[in-house]
Amino acid sequence: MTQALYRKWRPQKWDEVAGQDHVTKTLRNAVAGGRIGHAYLFSGPRGTGKTSVARLLAKAANCLHETPAERPCNQCQYCLAVNKGSFLDLIEIDAASNNGVDDVRDLRDKINFSPNQGKYKIYIIDEVHMLSTQAFNALLKTLEEPPPHAIFILATTEINKIPATVLSRCQRHEFKRASVEAITLQLKEIANSEKIPADDEALTLIARQATGSFRDAISLLDQMASTGEKITLKNIHEILGTAASQNVLELVDSIQKSQPAEGLDHLHEALDAGTDSRVLARQIVEYLRALLLIKLGNPDQANLPRETLKQAAKHAGAFSARHILHMIREFNAAATDLRGGWQPALSLELALAGVMELPEEKQPVVLLQTSSTRATTRPTSQATTMPTSQTETMPTSQATNTPTSQATNPPTSQATNTPTSQAQDSPKPVHPPKEKPTLTAPKETDSDFTRLAKEWKKIKLAVKIVNRPLEAALNSCRPKELKNGILTLGCDNEFAMNLASKNDNVEVVTKAILDTLDMDLQIKCVISNARQDTPADIKQDGMVAEALKVGGKITDIQD
Amino acid sequence: MIEENWGLLGHDWAVNMLRRHIQEDAVRHAYLFTGPPGVGRRSLALRFAQALNCPQPPAPGEACRACRTCTQIEAMQYPDLSILQAEHEGGTLKVEQIRAIQHGLSLKPYQGRYRVAIFLRFQEANPNAANALLKTLEEAPAHVVLVVMADNPDQLLPTIVSRCEGLRLRSLPVERVQTFIQSRGTDPDSARLLAHLSGGRPGYALRLKDDPHGLELRTRWLDELHGILSSNRIRRFAYAEKLTRDKEETRQVLELWGSYWRDVMLFSSGSSIDLTNIDRMQEIESLGKMIDLSRARRLVMDIENGIDRLDKNVNARLLLEVLLLDWPFVGSERK
Repeated sequence: MTQALYRKWRPQKWDEVAGQDHVTKTLRNAVAGGRIGHAYLFSGPRGTGKTSVARLLAKAANCLHETPAERPCNQCQYCLAVNKGSFLDLIEIDAASNNGVDDVRDLRDKINFSPNQGKYKIYIIDEVHMLSTQAFNALLKTLEEPPPHAIFILATTEINKIPATVLSRCQRHEFKRASVEAITLQLKEIANSEKIPADDEALTLIARQATGSFRDAISLLDQMASTGEKITLKNIHEILGTAASQNVLELVDSIQKSQPAEGLDHLHEALDAGTDSRVLARQIVEYLRALLLIKLGNPDQANLPRETLKQAAKHAGAFSARHILHMIREFNAAATDLRGGWQPALSLELALAGVMELPEEKQPVVLLQTSSTRATTRPTSQATTMPTSQTETMPTSQATNTPTSQATNPPTSQATNTPTSQAQDSPKPVHPPKEKPTLTAPKETDSDFTRLAKEWKKIKLAVKIVNRPLEAALNSCRPKELKNGILTLGCDNEFAMNLASKNDNVEVVTKAILDTLDMDLQIKCVISNARQDTPADIKQDGMVAEALKVGGKITDIQD
Repeated sequence: MIEENWGLLGHDWAVNMLRRHIQEDAVRHAYLFTGPPGVGRRSLALRFAQALNCPQPPAPGEACRACRTCTQIEAMQYPDLSILQAEHEGGTLKVEQIRAIQHGLSLKPYQGRYRVAIFLRFQEANPNAANALLKTLEEAPAHVVLVVMADNPDQLLPTIVSRCEGLRLRSLPVERVQTFIQSRGTDPDSARLLAHLSGGRPGYALRLKDDPHGLELRTRWLDELHGILSSNRIRRFAYAEKLTRDKEETRQVLELWGSYWRDVMLFSSGSSIDLTNIDRMQEIESLGKMIDLSRARRLVMDIENGIDRLDKNVNARLLLEVLLLDWPFVGSERK
């Protein structure tokens, strides 16, 4: 049997460690300055170089090269011994199999002996998250104050399982997932020196498949190379079941045209060509995610090839953001569906049938509206006032637009208004108010109240210009109830209530509401208790209200 | 053609790859075969074991499939072949079993060149068992080849998957399974039905072929499905009570019904994809015309969720009652 490529290509020098500059730089400087710590903890996803860097550090600590900055030299006898795996003072422990407290006690007994050959005795404890609680605790004292000749390097993929007492005793270095570019570069180098014929695109695909792990990427390359043929996109698709994205595009096309039959045909075309159903689902989700990103105005993040991008832009235009979200949810469910199942395609078919109908959800629409109103309130708050009735008419027109197009250019919309001049006037609608709403027969609906609650901030802003202390008081009041043209304000404390219910002040608030929402309302203030709100129809200073204030409960009301 | 392919139907690329590994003496120490049940994972693994151990191969990377070694392996009675699985389908593979096999693997092969260990349905291994295998999977002794099998890699620990060389076996085209079954002496019509029922899994189709009782049950259950559609609530409740007395049977019925409703869904979408229950085309067509896509989808979903919940041990009778209530009424409702 031959040695696996990923073991053969373990980095032997600092420069060969790819994609982890933030770690290697620190460690190199520590070695160069002779300031190597006594305990390190390396964490990060699988295949990012934790064990490799741990060995490098071990090598550098004991290297015999004269200038510390050049260590490890890979020439002195110790370096060579480490490379061969025969260095006596490098002790690598697999914590997954030696996870008991007795193993740690054994380590503690031996650590006091001075190193056999080198300057330091180095303990690399791999998969350290598997140690039992007792084992961790038994290690604590040694980890805090090891003998001067000992260095600990702990490595783990699951940092969340490490006790805080261990974390605080180590220098922590986090390894990042490698980027696709970094992995591709590495693969190219390996392919060149191993004389493995490979297409560039194929290597990129391998890198993408590896999801940030060098080891996965290199073993995949190894596997592809073992077929003996040139590595091409086609070969990889065959072995990994990753389809060409053409099928995904066609699938989305038929969703757009609402043609389930055609969509199912495309689905099965892809599956018959050898795509794994889960992989296909993931690809669809990835593409839909790209659509969403384009929709939200960030096509650079979408990471699509140029020829696909054009099509994607077209698709993004054809769907609403809500529809895309719905599709992502459906197909994502198919991608994460773990059931093996008698028919692997079923979850995809269900997802496809599911995206043909857009569920009658009110929620996302409201969400969109609030996000768009938020986009407009931001400039308002900056300019203190804005023509308020304008914001009222806007949401409807905005809901059809994408929220981001708004969010990205609030400064321009703001620039057209001159905030200062308006700040002096009392807020005045730009559009003529339709008609004064009739006082006699006010018809409130729930939506009136929600509108009011939503625009409450704006109303407060309008109040603020006229009467600052009142606005402060209103901060501890909120609309509670809207009934028969009377708005009940729930106040947190008596002070706020007294201030808000002063005649002049009530007028100010009424006017603000009129200007903002075109609603003419009477205002009534009550104290609302955190535990139990005082109902509006109870006398505010009576016995019942008092009882409620101290925590009483209304269980029954009798006339 | 099948003969050149280690006597296997389909999976040519996998056979070629394994053969090349043997020829180039680059056999990996751990493989992971994934694919739907009945697709041929175990057969491939056994042929691989034969090719590895056959004392007089006709060509490098081939097995004679006639010598004592080969026949023993085929019968799974070869001393250097260990097969490990949960005690029954749906059971759990325990850590003791792994430990026992680890000891055996550390010994030199008794007869052949390699000790081969095959782990069937490894998704059934409990976490301790899976973890216990990790070290062996990573650094197996030189004379050991491990073959792990699962329905799909996502069911296993990622650490297991990344230590193996993965081969993903796919369902075959239905036509190929049909000709294969036909060549085994079945008349074309039933061969066609078996191939469709198997969804392109030759092993499953063969099993069905030799199981007339299973086919009978299937017919009965599908007839009952139609009976339910035309009966009122009281009868449906009565049926639910009757059926759910046996949980395993309930599960099988639900799976069958799921495939049936899927056919209805596919038909009502207007797609031309091969249906599963082709002997019931007429019924499916008339149902598919009655029900629109979203309704059919909901019915399939309900059954899928139902199976899921059944595994989580909900009250089967309640589950089935709710399920049947949502089914459409077809035909004249009899009181």
